[in-house]
Amino acid sequence: MQEIRTTHDAVRPKNPLRAWFDVRKRNLGSWAFALNRLTGLALTVYLFLHLAILSKLLQGESGWNEFLALARSPLFLLLDIILIFGILFHGLNGIRVALVGMGVGARQHRRLFWVLMVIGTLLLLVSAWKVFTI
Amino acid sequence: MQAGLSKQGTKQKSVQVGRAGAFWLIQAVSGLLLVLLLLLHMVAHHFVVEGGLRDFAEVLAYVSNPAIFTIEVVFLIVVISHAMLGLRAVIFDLGLNKRHARVVNWVLGVIGIVTLVYGVWLAVAIQQL
Amino acid sequence: MAERKVELKVFRYKQGQTPHYDTYNVTVDENTTVLVALQDVRRDQDTSLILRHSCHHASCGTCGMRINGQEQLACVVKVLELGTPTVVVEPLQNAPLISDLVVDMAPFYDRYNTPEMPYIRASEFWPKTDLPDGIAQYTRYENCLECGLCVSACPVAGTDSEYLGPAAMAAAARVVAEPRDSDPEFALNWVDNEHGCWRCHVAYECTEVCPSDVNPGEAIMSLRGALTRRKFRRVFGLGK
Repeated sequence: MQEIRTTHDAVRPKNPLRAWFDVRKRNLGSWAFALNRLTGLALTVYLFLHLAILSKLLQGESGWNEFLALARSPLFLLLDIILIFGILFHGLNGIRVALVGMGVGARQHRRLFWVLMVIGTLLLLVSAWKVFTI
Repeated sequence: MQAGLSKQGTKQKSVQVGRAGAFWLIQAVSGLLLVLLLLLHMVAHHFVVEGGLRDFAEVLAYVSNPAIFTIEVVFLIVVISHAMLGLRAVIFDLGLNKRHARVVNWVLGVIGIVTLVYGVWLAVAIQQL
Repeated sequence: MAERKVELKVFRYKQGQTPHYDTYNVTVDENTTVLVALQDVRRDQDTSLILRHSCHHASCGTCGMRINGQEQLACVVKVLELGTPTVVVEPLQNAPLISDLVVDMAPFYDRYNTPEMPYIRASEFWPKTDLPDGIAQYTRYENCLECGLCVSACPVAGTDSEYLGPAAMAAAARVVAEPRDSDPEFALNWVDNEHGCWRCHVAYECTEVCPSDVNPGEAIMSLRGALTRRKFRRVFGLGK
């Protein structure tokens, strides 16, 4: 088999960040991909943060209460909303990517996206209301 | 001109089960599982509890329930696999040579296992308080 | 014929020099295409401007470029329909630049040069071949012009230089869907790796920019589906 040359261009070297996140003039799929990647990275950071904070439990009741007081501050609740947005977008868009990637609904991927996003918006509103009233 | 018709030497006898495909499938399936597990996790921790957060005693009682403990460990395994595979995809997109790719695989594998051990240890340790 | 003046901001590069943009004032009417406007510039203002074209009617696929940031065939884009006072014209991405608007298509064509993915398909010489019933419902990947717009628009090709890319994988999907005398297993093995169909991030830019309705995005998904089914068959020992 003949060797396949790379698409590398010495004059315009590839910039991964631009390829992933420069969505000017691009379509729905690129926006979804960029946001999926961004939320995925943020959620990974959050996962480790979350696990680290749980070690406060080891300091007994006083350590945990300290954290609970912080967690109930308005700023923290606002961060919660951002977190829930990230989870909802990544999760719901992920359903689309997984299904379409397995060949399910490939033709309907745009409609699938918008249906999921409507569900996501509703869930975001409900959770926001819950977060601030519970 | 019959280039396309020649078959000699072109068929691969033993086909490996592609790793790239396996990773993608694990990522997709773990993602779909996570949607369910995370829903469970969020509802159990924040939406059925007064004030949205458990106090110390409630956390202890919760984690000590063997069923909950099992679900949380399964959740941890799935979420770590998904996160590590996701990180792997991002890092691989930066364009790695074979040697660096192997290092990244190992490092992410180790981080994943260490995190899992830490998480399980934490869940066990707080029960002993 | 209402004539209007428009600015063309054109990406310029000569080997050994730094890329930059040159701006040309051109007079166009409602029928002037971007390709014709560029040819006017070359004829009347700057003979050093290098571009590639052939047929002028979107069937050869040689004049692909980025017009106002979007991959298009310059021969079928009318300057005034873009609606911008300045039209930015750049070469395709994810291909080595040769000069100005011309990129090296060799890496692109390399991806077709595999056995079992012939340039000319077996049945085209085969008088016994009938068109299947209901041909209208088939999407014809043979429609592919090999213009390279999809590879330029693809965010994955933008980070992985070894990515097989949408066009070549659409061709592979054709072999799988309708092998004729080729071996579909070969095509499946060819795309079953880190630089193949699993690398795709489902941005569907390829499908969006394709001037010929090839829909490479869906083709890549169908390859994944076929590979997944094959994997399950192997794991559970079904089939042969």
